[in-house]
Amino acid sequence: MVPLAIARQTVREALRRRVMWIFLICGLFLIALGPVFGFLSPKDSQTVLRSLGLAAILLAGLFITIVTCIYLIPVEIERRTIYTILSKPVQRYEFVLGKFLGGFAVVFINIAAMGVVFLLMIRFQEGKVPPDMYKGVFLTFFQMMLLAALTIFFSTFATPVLNFFMSFGIFIVGNLSSVTESLTTSRVKATQIAGTIIHYLLPNFGNFNIQNTLIHPTQEITNPDVFIKQNILYALIYSAVLLILAVIIFDRREV
Amino acid sequence: MQKAIKVMPASVKKRVAPLSTLVVVLLGASALLQKQIDPTARLIHKGEQNLTTVSGGLNNEFMLLPLLGFREAAAGLLWVRCDEFFHSGDYDAILPLVRIITLLDPHAENVYVTGAWHLSYNFTDSSERSDRRYIAPSEALLDEGILNNPEIPDIKFEKGWQNFDKIKNFTEAETTLKDCIAGPRHDETGKKGSDDFPFAAPLKTLHLLAHTYEKQGRLPEALEEWTRARARTEKIRDEDKAANKPENYSNKQMWFAERHNYDEDMQRYHNRYTTVKHDAINPSNPPLPGVLWPTGPGISPQPWDVAFLPKVEIKRAKVFRISGRFNSADGARIDVRITDWNYKDRPLVDIKNSFHPNMAETILVDSCSVRKGKFDREMDMSKDPKMYSFSEPDYKVVLSYNPRTTSPHLTDRYGWSGEGMKDANPDHVYLDTRAPLLGTAYIAGQGATGPVWDGVTVPWAEHTQPIRMIKVTYKVSRRQIMGEEPITDKDIVPNSE
Repeated sequence: MVPLAIARQTVREALRRRVMWIFLICGLFLIALGPVFGFLSPKDSQTVLRSLGLAAILLAGLFITIVTCIYLIPVEIERRTIYTILSKPVQRYEFVLGKFLGGFAVVFINIAAMGVVFLLMIRFQEGKVPPDMYKGVFLTFFQMMLLAALTIFFSTFATPVLNFFMSFGIFIVGNLSSVTESLTTSRVKATQIAGTIIHYLLPNFGNFNIQNTLIHPTQEITNPDVFIKQNILYALIYSAVLLILAVIIFDRREV
Repeated sequence: MQKAIKVMPASVKKRVAPLSTLVVVLLGASALLQKQIDPTARLIHKGEQNLTTVSGGLNNEFMLLPLLGFREAAAGLLWVRCDEFFHSGDYDAILPLVRIITLLDPHAENVYVTGAWHLSYNFTDSSERSDRRYIAPSEALLDEGILNNPEIPDIKFEKGWQNFDKIKNFTEAETTLKDCIAGPRHDETGKKGSDDFPFAAPLKTLHLLAHTYEKQGRLPEALEEWTRARARTEKIRDEDKAANKPENYSNKQMWFAERHNYDEDMQRYHNRYTTVKHDAINPSNPPLPGVLWPTGPGISPQPWDVAFLPKVEIKRAKVFRISGRFNSADGARIDVRITDWNYKDRPLVDIKNSFHPNMAETILVDSCSVRKGKFDREMDMSKDPKMYSFSEPDYKVVLSYNPRTTSPHLTDRYGWSGEGMKDANPDHVYLDTRAPLLGTAYIAGQGATGPVWDGVTVPWAEHTQPIRMIKVTYKVSRRQIMGEEPITDKDIVPNSE
């Protein structure tokens, strides 16, 4: 119950942040522009709308998640409001979990808002919403959930600016999972070891990029539902790892 | 000042070890899960080029998108840019963009199709003649597209069309179109949800295959193909009728076109071939007319003497005048080909980084129309030095007449393999015996090899009637092309491939 109370407060504070609204509005605007770009290339209007829409959700979601989550813990420490919270019978792990749940809820609200607009645009352009489109939004949400966990982890010991660059950097490296996977089979031993460490220890954000199969329906993967479940499980497990590490570090941190 | 002593509650100290163990276990679990995910992820990103390959050609703002996992969005935006370049006539700018887009998103089938069309058709000289050097990279691009998108018929159709229309390689067109119709599973079925379901290929593929057979003189197979196409259209119309849908006039028009083409081919078959001697062994049901037996002394009609008399002159540097006589009805066209002496058709090209061909090569392909038995045309290659560099010492000028690529009324007259034509000058008669152009042995005694078709035991594929063309080849030097020396009949050399 304590984490939920902290989460509720976190959501209220996050939703008051103007920067989050700016990114959200930009994301919605980009999605709404999708049909206009399609007009420039009528034969590919469906492809352009889907690719732009999913990219807009991902891009806006990325910035919303990072910008929201980098401040969740440091701001409390800076304003010294954390003393008020921790002086009550609130465990540090409850605090961290509550902040994560709050950030998670904010991400959910934003992705859901953009997802609804995106699906409406698809409906407007194509006359119906293919079921696969929901999967794209769904996986993006879990990708952002993992990113939120990563940002919260860094926020337990890094300043917001450093956290921003570290989270962004790991997101980029994580998106190159096809590259890191190829490194694991390199003939050079050192590269192989480095590739294996990066590929299996760093969070793989690239797993969630299934835009190609959504944009080009002729591209199919066998057992797509199994693949999605695997990715959701991966996101949950890795988020748990990051949160546990955040708790361990925050427990030892002097505030 | 005393250093502050960090005091950690015992409960916190106690849980560090189990939490750390849990982290290690969960990390292990996530690594195992990642191993499960990797094969499927590899399939999804199959064909995508490594970013280092692509990034060399991308601006910074576009680089960011692929790095963040927005390959498809970057590809989409670049394609919109391409469209703008196309409409503004800046064709050169399109090529590198097409290369980058297909590397970023190897499943953007429209880019392969449009890019290949653009390469083969839109690079022209000031007289609107295509730059043939781009055909090899165009074919390579289509092959890459087919490899990355085996389920999509459009790319195969485009390759078939290019071979039919541009390259006039009807054998390659036939192979590609048949592959398109057969589909990736070779059962002529497409994927559920695709535009042409339950078929693998659109109806136009059957039409083009029928035309390809017509060009090769294989009329029975063309007739079969029109019959199949008509059956498919009728099925669609019947289904619409059964579902009480309003008449689709596009389908109705298609059906009439298919019937018209079938009737026309039947008429051509009947006109060209007689019923002499083949009724008993005619395998078709209902029986089609039989096959003409070869002409010989005393049998009429005799092959027509086209009396080809060409003349190649240089009006001024790099400006050719191709003229002469060709004893034929109007509608014939003499094909003109001016290339480097060692020019290789369809060379292997590496399009990994760019589509640019060898810009030092020179090739012009054009034709002259024959009117009242004469032809006369100027071909100015001086206005486009980038396209016609003339950097080699020797060149080949080939004037030819191919009975398969000529107008249908002349094909009917001369025969698909030129059986009905000859030239009094035997050096002008050339038998094209390259394997892909071997025809059907309707007629024996005209350079054919292998068994004569008897309609029953000998299948079409074993027929070997080569094309009998009219062809004259000149070997000219750079000095002659620059107008420093004249081109005469002494420059005529024996015909070769």
